[in-house]
Amino acid sequence: MRLGGRTVLNGLTGELRGKAIGLLGPNGAGKSTLINTLLGFHVPSQGSARVFGLDTQRDRARIRQGVGYMPENDSFIGNMTGVRFVRYMAELAGLPAGEALERAHEALFYVGLGEVRYRKVNTYSLGMKQLIKLAQALAHGPRLLILDEPTNGLDPLARQRMIQTLQAIRKEGSIQLLISSHLLRDIDQTCDEVLILKDGRIAALCDIEQERRSQRNFIELEAAGPTEAFCETLRSLGCECASFAGGRIKLVVPDRIGSRDLYVVASQTGMQIRRMQRRRDSLEDIFMRAMEAEPARGELVHL
Amino acid sequence: MSIYKHEYRAYAGRLTSPWARLGVIVRYALAEAWSSRVTAVLLTLSMLPVIVYLVGIYLANNPMIRMLIMRGKSMIEIDPAYFLKVLQTQCWLALVMTAWIAPRLVSFEIADNALPILLSHPISRFSYVLGKFTALFACLSLVTWVPCLLLFAYQGYASPRPWIFANLHIAGGLLAGSVLWIALLSLLGLALSSWLKWRVVATGAIFAVMFIPAGVGGIITGVLRTKWGFLLNMPVMMSQLWQQLLDAPQTMRADRQLPGASILTVLLLMCGICVLMLNARIRAREVVRG
Repeated sequence: MRLGGRTVLNGLTGELRGKAIGLLGPNGAGKSTLINTLLGFHVPSQGSARVFGLDTQRDRARIRQGVGYMPENDSFIGNMTGVRFVRYMAELAGLPAGEALERAHEALFYVGLGEVRYRKVNTYSLGMKQLIKLAQALAHGPRLLILDEPTNGLDPLARQRMIQTLQAIRKEGSIQLLISSHLLRDIDQTCDEVLILKDGRIAALCDIEQERRSQRNFIELEAAGPTEAFCETLRSLGCECASFAGGRIKLVVPDRIGSRDLYVVASQTGMQIRRMQRRRDSLEDIFMRAMEAEPARGELVHL
Repeated sequence: MSIYKHEYRAYAGRLTSPWARLGVIVRYALAEAWSSRVTAVLLTLSMLPVIVYLVGIYLANNPMIRMLIMRGKSMIEIDPAYFLKVLQTQCWLALVMTAWIAPRLVSFEIADNALPILLSHPISRFSYVLGKFTALFACLSLVTWVPCLLLFAYQGYASPRPWIFANLHIAGGLLAGSVLWIALLSLLGLALSSWLKWRVVATGAIFAVMFIPAGVGGIITGVLRTKWGFLLNMPVMMSQLWQQLLDAPQTMRADRQLPGASILTVLLLMCGICVLMLNARIRAREVVRG
């Protein structure tokens, strides 16, 4: 995908099938461009994009019928009341007027804006504006919900509310979620799978749940003394070990090796352990590894 | 979803056709246009000249009044020139309506950046513009060809002589002249409103586009001693077109009259520019750039 003479998405080949997919990446990685391409706003300069098995250009209307989209920035009609705005969007999605009104009320109650649904949208707080964007995306009963930075600009309470709503939608199970964010915590809390983009390419993809299940023991040590000898001994026991300047050591240890074993090895090699921190692999680690690695070129990905 | 359970419920009911969704845009645009009292006031004011012209037709055709007030003479002739006045009055009132309504239809949505959400639904840019255009066209019809043709029909009814069939070209001219004018006004109003964030500025711009080039055209005509400067002078150009369409007497010298084809070409060119402006603006606004 090229925009303004610049290649924004490059060699992106894959298939996303998960129930809740997080789209991660630093600013300018191509997350919003990917979403806009999936919605048919951008024409791929090479190749094609398909949603529900339909071509995003040829079957744009049918795709949009089944998609609820919540854009990143403020996007609403300020001089309409909340319920009228959501009803309008539902009618545009193809619902008859009566059904659209009924579902507009329901959607607004569902996201927690029931009490303010007769207020004009331009009087809403930032959090409410985010929620009404979510309500309009849900009102027509989409099969796929695309959310671009859903917690953008929200205070902690409003963010928590948004996250809880998304978790409820994921749990209900009839909608697939595609959530774009640069906030790892949001993706961690709402998604099962994550696709990480870097410079318009796929940097990593993983099943967060699977990663959590197969988490390995990470141990960070601060030590004094012969760290290389310590690392060599641990490697011979089946650990992955990397030593850094200042006596810092990072270990990935098998389950059979406990903390006591580390102290024993340290004692044998004459090294002092000054600090030990045990932690599990997090989305942040996955993301950081993806950012350090060279992005995949044209690799077929499946989620 | 349901209110009492607060749970999500997928929609499995029937869906409307794509044409019905175009109707949704028209309906909401009309509601937006008529949500302002000013629109209702403008429509009412636009009907006042119609009432005056209606009375004129009544006076011209009522034998009793002709006997009592006009002493048998017909002071008002109901002819193409009469209907030209009707058409000109109503068409310039339509400009005022456009300047008020067009910014309401577009500026709110542009200012609030609503297009990414609107166009993420199963409607195209073309449907969106067509919907707004249809709504504005319908509003302007109420003050142009609808009252004009009603007056024509009343004249046909009130005239003691068989009048309608002998003057059908007037009805055709009224319809064609009105439709051309309000189509241009609708496109121009929407195009300017889409580029200007503030409604007041958009309203001013609609008048400015209509009258500032007229001044430039007048200068060109005066300095170069050519009639082609009138092609920038919308009031003169449209008056000449309406005169030709109604077959009314020309008010300008023969050497100052513009050919109908050149007037139509300029109108088409203006419509084309407006469409390009709309397309460029809405295309740029339909996505949130990442």
